[in-house]
Amino acid sequence: MKTSWNELLLIEDYLLSDRKEADSVVLEARMILQPDLKDSIFWQEKTYSLIEQYGRQQLRKEIEQVHEKLFTAPEHASFRQKIIRLFSK
Amino acid sequence: MIPKSDKEKVSNDHEALLMSLYQDAFPLVASYVKKMGGSFDEAKDIFQDALIIYYEKVRHTGITLRYTEKAYLFGIAKYLWNKRYKVTSKELPIDIHNDPDVVDSVYEEISSSRLINLLQTAGEKCMQLLSAFYYERLNMETLAERFGFSGPRSATVQKFKCLEKIKETVKEKSLNYEDIME
Repeated sequence: MKTSWNELLLIEDYLLSDRKEADSVVLEARMILQPDLKDSIFWQEKTYSLIEQYGRQQLRKEIEQVHEKLFTAPEHASFRQKIIRLFSK
Repeated sequence: MIPKSDKEKVSNDHEALLMSLYQDAFPLVASYVKKMGGSFDEAKDIFQDALIIYYEKVRHTGITLRYTEKAYLFGIAKYLWNKRYKVTSKELPIDIHNDPDVVDSVYEEISSSRLINLLQTAGEKCMQLLSAFYYERLNMETLAERFGFSGPRSATVQKFKCLEKIKETVKEKSLNYEDIME
């Protein structure tokens, strides 16, 4: 494993696991020796947050496609009518 | 490469799950929203938000549901409707331009979505892979199958390469103010 991946993994464990004490101690000790590690943690946390938002966007698109199918495809006509009837009252 | 049929199977399973949740729970939610004076579009918005919350809750926390999926979805949708209804019924004109919290969050949202677009252009395959791992929480076997890697080990290596690449891009693009703000 590349050295830079060790750092990625260490930060990942620190950010995504339940912040096990051992990981925190190792990382905090390294932060003293390596001040740019703090930056690295910041960017990795931001990356996870953007991946999460991207994942949610994709899911939203998939849900919209399912909705389109249910409200246009001939095989779902009875489902569609049931809903339309509800709102036409 | 994995055979096309396997790839389709993985995405079809996902679509089938969403389809069955929709067919099962949407009529109940729609009927509730209608009863409360809401429209079809409002029922659709509320239900789709509830589906996302449900998906994230089940995937991310791995909780065991004590009630049926339908009851759970209905519960979330009802909560969302009441929250939204109460907010809109309050007679307070919100001046978003003078509310620092709102301005900050709008700014944050715009810059995030702009950044996500840039990341997609720079490495869509990587974004899909990372999202499958971190958002969908797929294991390495399923990940390897979906993306056509030889096995979990090769999927793990690819995941690290992608994380490294995307993290670099996030840093580079975020620091380049003009890229984000145009």
